[in-house]
Amino acid sequence: MKSSSCLRYICPLILPLLTFCVVSGVSRGAVAIGDSGVQIGGFFSQGYLYSDNNNLPTEDVGGTWNFREAAFNVTDTIGAHLRVGAQVFEQDFGNIGNDKMILDWAIADYNFTPWFGIRAGRVKYPKGLYGEALDLDVVRPFILLPEAVYSPILRDFTASFDGGMIYGSVNVLKSSFDYKVFGGTIPINPEKGVADFYNGSTGGLFAGSGVTSLKMDSVAGAQLVWNTPVSGLKFVGSYSFFTNLDAYGPFIAYPPVVLGTDIPRFSWITYSSEYTVGDWVFAAEWQRTNGQLEFNAPMIGVSGSDTVGWDGWYVALTRRLGDKFQVGAYYGDNQSRQNYSSSDPSTYQHDTALSLRYDLNDHVLFKIEAHYFDGTYETFNTPRIMNPNPKQNTTVFAAKTTVSF
Amino acid sequence: MNTRTLRRLGVLAVLFASLSMAGAAPVIIVNKSIEKEKVDAATLKSVLLGKKVAWDSGGRAILAVLKSGPVADEFLKGAVDMSGSSFNNYWRRLAMTGGGTAPHSFEKEEDLRKYVADTPGAIGFVDSANVDASVAVLTLAP
Repeated sequence: MKSSSCLRYICPLILPLLTFCVVSGVSRGAVAIGDSGVQIGGFFSQGYLYSDNNNLPTEDVGGTWNFREAAFNVTDTIGAHLRVGAQVFEQDFGNIGNDKMILDWAIADYNFTPWFGIRAGRVKYPKGLYGEALDLDVVRPFILLPEAVYSPILRDFTASFDGGMIYGSVNVLKSSFDYKVFGGTIPINPEKGVADFYNGSTGGLFAGSGVTSLKMDSVAGAQLVWNTPVSGLKFVGSYSFFTNLDAYGPFIAYPPVVLGTDIPRFSWITYSSEYTVGDWVFAAEWQRTNGQLEFNAPMIGVSGSDTVGWDGWYVALTRRLGDKFQVGAYYGDNQSRQNYSSSDPSTYQHDTALSLRYDLNDHVLFKIEAHYFDGTYETFNTPRIMNPNPKQNTTVFAAKTTVSF
Repeated sequence: MNTRTLRRLGVLAVLFASLSMAGAAPVIIVNKSIEKEKVDAATLKSVLLGKKVAWDSGGRAILAVLKSGPVADEFLKGAVDMSGSSFNNYWRRLAMTGGGTAPHSFEKEEDLRKYVADTPGAIGFVDSANVDASVAVLTLAP
């Protein structure tokens, strides 16, 4: 039902555009419309996921075709310095997204000089190497980014924010520094994947269908990229935080009572490095998230607080094999900051992945990937992502094709 | 001409073609509206990476690039220290995340040259053998 619904809406949009981009002048990542400054771009991907034990990364044990994404964007330039544009996006990731079209980004950008520009609207959220490009299959060999740093459950929550950003680039001797400083808010609701961090019988706080209200005050942060004098080597530091991330719902210990929770400040810090040399790309990232969750159910006199967050890192290696093939592998490690114990698999997750990518041409690619997960940290058991009998180890196979223009 | 001579000529032709490819000599061409613009290597890199979007003399900097080939590879390696595929990925990422306006991309140098000639503010690169009077050749300032 969901597949046919998706195809009904997506195909009429994508297929004519693909035809257009094949027969017209195609830019790198966009199609120019005549001699105007208008460009269009987009992609459509369809994948298959199979998990043998747990529901990693989503939905349920077994295989699913509910694994697709589509996006379409339009940008235009007005005068020398101003650029406007927007992208709509939809995904179906197990039981998350359900092919619902959302506004992914919509910006007005005024670039005064290379070292100072302003961007406002719905803006992509800078975090690590891939925070702004979570959905771009074309820029990496992997199907699933390392979950230790890029949880797919959080994609619909941390992909963009509503607010403003200043940015720029400064040359210093033989290197350059790119900076971004931003602030705003993120619209969230119980339909978002982040709700599964609150729900369910395994470590969750809310009973029944889960959290009934989710909101937050603001997000702010900064990112600094150092493009070093060493050819192909860069380092990235990203810091951001949410304020007053609040949730309400039926208390799992006593469902007739409403439990209220607040995380006054939830912070993300990510250190990243990437080294491109010839056909090889080496990447490594480390991330710490941290917050103090305060909970309160005054009707039954329950209140308290607890640490929430995780320490995650990964190392990745990719190699291009000629014009058509790319192989990649990574190892990721994610640990609970609340109660990590090496003897308790529910407090950690180790992820070993191997990927192969084949580019049919500039617009069509295919990928296959295998994962071996050890540990069940962030393996959910919620009304939306059922996993009543978690096993310590899980193997996941994924295949995906993406058409982009 | 006997078979051996023909074979030798064929080998020479292949060698000549290989040397021609290896000796690709890209030059920067611009629309004549900006031929007096002072551009050094750092400014060129900034334009190619979408960090500088307007010329000092006014008007938007409009990028035209070759999709692939030895001229593109040699030029991009020298100007932005990237391979063609890295440059491609860089711009795909920007264009798809609201970070910039993607370069206009061309298969043939003749088409790129014509676009630059016809588009105020345009900058691109072709092999030196493909320059004509319709465009200005930009020499990088020291």
